[in-house]
Amino acid sequence: MAAASVDDSEWEELNRTNWKGLGLTDPIKNVEDKWLLLPAFLKVKGLVKQHIDSFNYFVDTDIKNIVKANNKVTSDVDPRFWLKYTDINVGFPDRDEDSAIDKRVTPNECRLRDITYAAPIIVTIQYTRGKNIVQRNVCLGRLPIMLRSSKCVLTGRTDDQLARMIECPLDPGGYFVVKGTEKVILVQEQLSKNRIIVETDTVKGIVQASCTSSTHGGLKSKTYVATKKGKIYLRHNSIHEDVPIVIALKALGIQSDKEILLLTAGTTEAYKETFATNLEDAAKLGIFTRQQALEYIGTRVKVNRRVMGPRRPAWEEALEALATIVLAHVPVNGLDFRSKAIFVATMTRRVLMAMDDEKMVDDRDYVGNKRLELAGQLLALLFEDLFKTYNSNLKIAIDKVLKKPSRTSEFDAFNTMRMQGDHLTSGFVRAISTGNWSLKRFKMERAGVTHVLSRLSFISALGMMTRISSQFEKTRKVSGPRALQPSQWGVLCPSDTPEGEACGLVKNLALMTHITTDVEEEPITRLAFMLGVEDISLTTGTEIYGPHTFVVNVNGTIVGLTKYPTRFVQQFRKLRRARRFSEFISIYINNHHRAVHIACDGGRICRPAIIVENGRPRVTSEHITLLKKGKATFDDFLQMGLVEYLDVNEENDTYIALYESDIVPTTTHLEIEPFTLLGAVAGLIPYPHHNQSPRNTYQCAMGKQAIGAIAYNQFNRIDTLLYLSVYPQQPMVKTKTIELIGYDKLPAGQNATVAVMSYSGYDIEDALILNKASLDRGYGRCQVLRKNATLVRKYPNGTFDRLADAPLGEDGEVAKKYDIIQLDGLAGVGERVDPGDVYVNKQSPSNATDNTFTGQAASVPYRNTPLSYKSPVAGNIDKVLISDTDNDQTLIKVLIRQTRRPELGDKFSSRHGQKGVCGLIVNQEDLPFNDQGINPDTIMNPHGFPSRMTVGKMIELLAGKAGVLTGNLQYGTAFGGSKVEDMSRILVENGFSYAGKDMLTSGITGEPLEAYVYFGPIYYQKLKHMVMDKMHARARGPRATLTRQPTEGRSREGGLRLGEMERDCLIGYGATQLLLERLMISSDKFEVNACEECGLMGYNGWCTYCKSSKKMAQLTIPYAAKLLFQELMAMNVVPRLVLDDA
Amino acid sequence: MNSQQQGGPNAGGQQPSYVQPPREAMEYLCADCGAKNEIKPREPIRCRECGHRIMYKKRTKRSMCLRVYNNDESSLGIAVVQFEAR
Repeated sequence: MAAASVDDSEWEELNRTNWKGLGLTDPIKNVEDKWLLLPAFLKVKGLVKQHIDSFNYFVDTDIKNIVKANNKVTSDVDPRFWLKYTDINVGFPDRDEDSAIDKRVTPNECRLRDITYAAPIIVTIQYTRGKNIVQRNVCLGRLPIMLRSSKCVLTGRTDDQLARMIECPLDPGGYFVVKGTEKVILVQEQLSKNRIIVETDTVKGIVQASCTSSTHGGLKSKTYVATKKGKIYLRHNSIHEDVPIVIALKALGIQSDKEILLLTAGTTEAYKETFATNLEDAAKLGIFTRQQALEYIGTRVKVNRRVMGPRRPAWEEALEALATIVLAHVPVNGLDFRSKAIFVATMTRRVLMAMDDEKMVDDRDYVGNKRLELAGQLLALLFEDLFKTYNSNLKIAIDKVLKKPSRTSEFDAFNTMRMQGDHLTSGFVRAISTGNWSLKRFKMERAGVTHVLSRLSFISALGMMTRISSQFEKTRKVSGPRALQPSQWGVLCPSDTPEGEACGLVKNLALMTHITTDVEEEPITRLAFMLGVEDISLTTGTEIYGPHTFVVNVNGTIVGLTKYPTRFVQQFRKLRRARRFSEFISIYINNHHRAVHIACDGGRICRPAIIVENGRPRVTSEHITLLKKGKATFDDFLQMGLVEYLDVNEENDTYIALYESDIVPTTTHLEIEPFTLLGAVAGLIPYPHHNQSPRNTYQCAMGKQAIGAIAYNQFNRIDTLLYLSVYPQQPMVKTKTIELIGYDKLPAGQNATVAVMSYSGYDIEDALILNKASLDRGYGRCQVLRKNATLVRKYPNGTFDRLADAPLGEDGEVAKKYDIIQLDGLAGVGERVDPGDVYVNKQSPSNATDNTFTGQAASVPYRNTPLSYKSPVAGNIDKVLISDTDNDQTLIKVLIRQTRRPELGDKFSSRHGQKGVCGLIVNQEDLPFNDQGINPDTIMNPHGFPSRMTVGKMIELLAGKAGVLTGNLQYGTAFGGSKVEDMSRILVENGFSYAGKDMLTSGITGEPLEAYVYFGPIYYQKLKHMVMDKMHARARGPRATLTRQPTEGRSREGGLRLGEMERDCLIGYGATQLLLERLMISSDKFEVNACEECGLMGYNGWCTYCKSSKKMAQLTIPYAAKLLFQELMAMNVVPRLVLDDA
Repeated sequence: MNSQQQGGPNAGGQQPSYVQPPREAMEYLCADCGAKNEIKPREPIRCRECGHRIMYKKRTKRSMCLRVYNNDESSLGIAVVQFEAR
């Protein structure tokens, strides 16, 4: 048959090797190692690229824009005077002292000396001096510099150079050093600005579209288009009452009802129906023309009366309000309100759509509707505020000088500027060190913006840099903001969130997340027009809502229409892939709203993905080979159009294949690596995809408390509190994330050999049994370093503190508590400090605050103000640092070290949210051992497994055991990692059971155990909660002065409270004598004399009220009760005691 | 306590005339270059070699001497204990 021969020839054709030696039927080779793009990405961007990019943008671009917008200072007195800022530059951090030889300053020096890591802000000014125009450079103030930003001395340094600067190469940077403390500006999550959000309230039956406008210049206002009793109104804070929408549109220049109907309801019959009443409404109010509408609005506008100028007619007020306050972000050129009118009309239409179909509302929790605010933006706001204040102060100062009729010398504004003080410097330092961003100018009042960088462990510092705090109210019972959003995929870590109050509100970035910075909007708009978009101001409702027409939005503002959205978007993306404009500009089609959205604003969350074309990923093995050889970087991949950034909105317009084998003809992108959906902290967990999800969340919280190595410079740091592991080990079962973030170089834990079995009864409730010999060998041993700092001050009255050597007792010997004090009044380095010992023998003048004192500073009497050691356990002096702060006070920091070995009650955890305390320490000989004579370091009770379902931990043991046997490290990367089957094979090859179970022999009886025991290495972390820091008991001790009751809290050696609930129990049981003892005799027993006659308290058997001692009785009451009576009397309430025989 | 004012070189507070013949001066190490420095009271702390502003105290030379008796209990051995891990 002819058909058969055709088939044959077709097959022949197909089987012919025609392309690079491959036939069509040959299997397609996968791109090996495409995950290598991830390290390449991190190499370019670093782990905290969001912070650093944002700060760089502020320092390099935004700061110039701000100055440009406020660049002129003039005088009210002399109209000829002006001062102009022509340029602004931020320098590199330097020493703020003139005498310095080496002006450079390192972050570590700032940390040690308690100074601020800041760089001068230099402005170039032009101003008139007499008849001349002078140009000069002035330092405005000092800006704290983010570490590893473009202005930081650490950027671009090799590891060697960093080591020389005593800085850790693994430290991510992204924080500030202010007054010696490391401060992070957390990422803030907000609803996106300048976008329409439609919401419904089903209870009240309200539909509203709101839009928060925010422009450069900081003005923020929220405009609503909302329904009220079926009619639609425009609502804004600056207008007293809601304006019917038709009137608002008429005021915006759309006069004819027909046009209004077309722009809002279009040709859809249902919408027309709903909208009709609004038109009637306006007609009923007698408003037909624009003038009438403006008059209507004008009488309702809130006018902030400026002092000068005559009262303006109402319509002018309305015009101004509509042009500048309502929807401020939509540009109004001249008095062309067309685009604003269309924006309002669009909002109205969205309301109509939501009224018709309640599914047409927006989701506030959708990540695409959110923007993240970073350090750069917050600093920009702060700078703008400070700069404006500075300028107004400068103007006042200049006016003051110019007001004087005659001057001795020619007026030079430069001198006035230098006299301005450090308004900017102190403003920045105050804001960052307190975290209070209170900018009256921008109606911003935020507290807790900055946090001290937690250095408990390397992971805790890293975790803090990726943290996002939500601005939403915490009290609301809605679960929406807390719930895991599907759109979080790949950009926000699904595991890393705290438990309890802030659960789901505090989030963490995933590994490849990037946050955009602002990109100029205008060229993008122009580009859109060039790609065939029709200008919106030339169109009417018929075209806008016509069939096949799509509205084009740039950053939420409507700019035009297109008939061919797909083609337009394709072309736009092509240009982006060719890098004709920033790679962070996103474009997507929203078919529900029939709109194309282009976004180039800052704060969008995006991530890279491999582009797939014609069913093939653009990245091929050849590219990866180049990458491996170091001949290509991530930027080259971007440049070549192999990968691109997708923001959350654009992600919704793509079809991303998880694996290469999943690619179908419609696929547009390929995931770089699925494990990047987890964040840096969750990335530590081996086999997280085998665990129950809350366990991963628990581990994320605990990984931050693990004691380990903190940084390469950990021994050169003097932190308030530092926990260090003595023998940290990298985990046997690693993940790729671990290698990428450097956890293998700064680990926090040890590979413990674990036997999963029951031993004694001291292992119930997750308690662990520890091997004493392991502890002797250093398992779980840690060091606690505590800083103790003091200033040896000079006081304004000329007196000063001093350091004295150890005083001699009456016997001529140095007292025990002074025995480590050397001649300089400081303890010797390396000496042991016992509890109560003095290690800084400081003395202060007794009249330090007396500012009238003028005598000899040396002759004043001194009192002892020593620093003495408080901890109940002895420590060693590790370091004594002496330096000067920036205001020339001598600073002394003493670092005291304790070395601790694990004890009963110390907390340990594996990497699977399985925490437990040490329940028993057993001699090695009593522990079970296997065929090779190996003892476990730790015994874990198997009851921890069934309910927790941490299968990952079991696989970790298996992989770890296989790794130990072959001398390799195994991988437990999420959605991948070493396979159980392979691990079992290795075990079998090495003579072990495939299941990981060993035959153990009891160390106590010498008999074999009856069951095989799951036995192998698991990475265990020691957590910072140690018994030594918590243990507390008291028999007798200090009392509070006011109430004479025992003090509260361990630090004050307080009593243990018998609270209300315990009291209730004792009352219920009827143990009155016990109650009496606990609540009074052991607490604040007090003898009072009370008068049976008047019921008041007297003293010494004398009633001052009755002036008699006849009926006095002595009784015992709590001192607090006596205090209460007296306080009541002070408030004119007489409590009288009625006495009776007991 | 005020009788104890004649402190070391850094004890501070006295007129130079009151100072006893200065005892062996305390030495400090510059955190940057490691040069030995002396610190005088109420003077800025600065390395005279490199100008660095941070100084560390040198490790103490005092040692804890323990008398250790050998087995024959006649010869006296002295063991210097510098570290004592606990």
